[in-house]
Amino acid sequence: MTGTSTAAARRLRATKVPVLTKTRNLDQWICWWSIPIFYSVFGLVFVYLTRLMPPPSPGHTTEQIISFIQLNATHLQIGIVVLSLSLGLASLSSGIIVVQMRRMQGVSPALAYAYLAALAVAALPGCLFCGFMFALAAFRPDRDPRLIVLLYDMGLLSFVGSLGCFVVQYMVFAIAIFLDEREIFPKWLGYMSIWGVVTELLAIPIWIFRSGPYAWNGLISFYLGTIIFVVWEFCLVVCLYKAIKAQPIDESLQGDDSLAIAR
Amino acid sequence: MNTTDQRICLWLVPAFGALLLLAFCIFPGFFPPLSPTLSAEEVAAFYRNHVGQIRASMIICNVCGVAFIPFFMVIVVQMQRMANPSRAFAYSYLSAAASGATLFALANLAWLIAAFRPERDPQLTMMLNDLAWMAFITPVGFILAQNLCLALGIYLDARPHPVFPRWVGHFNLATALLMTPGAFALMFMTGPLAWDGALAFWLRIGTYALYLGVMFFVVRAAINRQASEEGAAA
Repeated sequence: MTGTSTAAARRLRATKVPVLTKTRNLDQWICWWSIPIFYSVFGLVFVYLTRLMPPPSPGHTTEQIISFIQLNATHLQIGIVVLSLSLGLASLSSGIIVVQMRRMQGVSPALAYAYLAALAVAALPGCLFCGFMFALAAFRPDRDPRLIVLLYDMGLLSFVGSLGCFVVQYMVFAIAIFLDEREIFPKWLGYMSIWGVVTELLAIPIWIFRSGPYAWNGLISFYLGTIIFVVWEFCLVVCLYKAIKAQPIDESLQGDDSLAIAR
Repeated sequence: MNTTDQRICLWLVPAFGALLLLAFCIFPGFFPPLSPTLSAEEVAAFYRNHVGQIRASMIICNVCGVAFIPFFMVIVVQMQRMANPSRAFAYSYLSAAASGATLFALANLAWLIAAFRPERDPQLTMMLNDLAWMAFITPVGFILAQNLCLALGIYLDARPHPVFPRWVGHFNLATALLMTPGAFALMFMTGPLAWDGALAFWLRIGTYALYLGVMFFVVRAAINRQASEEGAAA
């Protein structure tokens, strides 16, 4: 330790250090907690409130679609309000993953930034756009029935069928894990992320089929993809937990030596 | 370190802010805000009668609406200077700022598309109008995430001379809280929570305008401190 940084440490000890900073990696833990909280809210919104998961059938008649909207209108609206308030939590999960990806060795930050950018794009087409479409339908269920059907299709197709952002997310994550010489994440998480890419590809046929296993509510396109996603997300949360726990105490990411001591 | 780039991004706020204020004043549906209880015919008539003003206002918004992004990225740069354990909040803030900007762009498109053919079937014009207002007023989640990350970053900043003073953290949380009613405009046709209501419209927009104004000076002060600290160190 150099003389200047000892002086900096003394200066820091003399200053009142905020109580919050006494917990190591508190910022990462806050972001980490945002993931289970966000997915609990997400489940509440899509499974219980809006009943959009599992998705209602693409084979519904106009009457069935209208009665789905009319019977669910209030639930849809409450659910989408909760979604529009909480979707920002998804940004916090990107934040922590980028931090961990940047700790990797033998990998440039390009992959971490690609992960962040892909998910920043995904928020609208992959989630909130669907919310808007159903909010529009539930706001005026007495719209022209053809418009209600159009909103229903736009909502569910964008929700289940926005594939590219997530393909990029899984792909860059897998590549980073495979190239990382430091084993921040175990290699098997990389293989699981490849499965994530596969599930996105398995959803391609929803753009063509209106019934059967490849429809937007089908056994392969929806259920298999969702199960793999849930398992992946669970493993990611566990691996993130271990990665933060294993982070050496003196590791500085902010790159400011005189302040690293404060931690 | 040279802070010229940050100062340029900073001064984009008053420049584009003035243009957006102009666009806001030109738009014929803000004073008072267009009611969600209007019939399809009335909405269609609004677009037919004010097509020029709507286009002028929304073309300005189209060009300038995302112009605060460079300013938010200055905040990201300042957050990276904070003595936080990691850059987690800075990256989260960046992600939320980018996602949030897409929503304003969506609202803007819906307004302009509705005004493109005002003779369209009124049902279709009303739906585009609904989409524009909802995308404009309701998605507050990303602003909440931005302000929450910034506030937490400020609270965790262990520098002897923090990048931002503590009160900026409180200010960000208070702003976030005052903007939450906007989300409820998805479900109310009338009252203070409808998209033309006092809470969902005026409180939300007034708070955000005030927020940007205050943050302009806060960020300017932070850049000045950075310049003097790093100038002294060099």
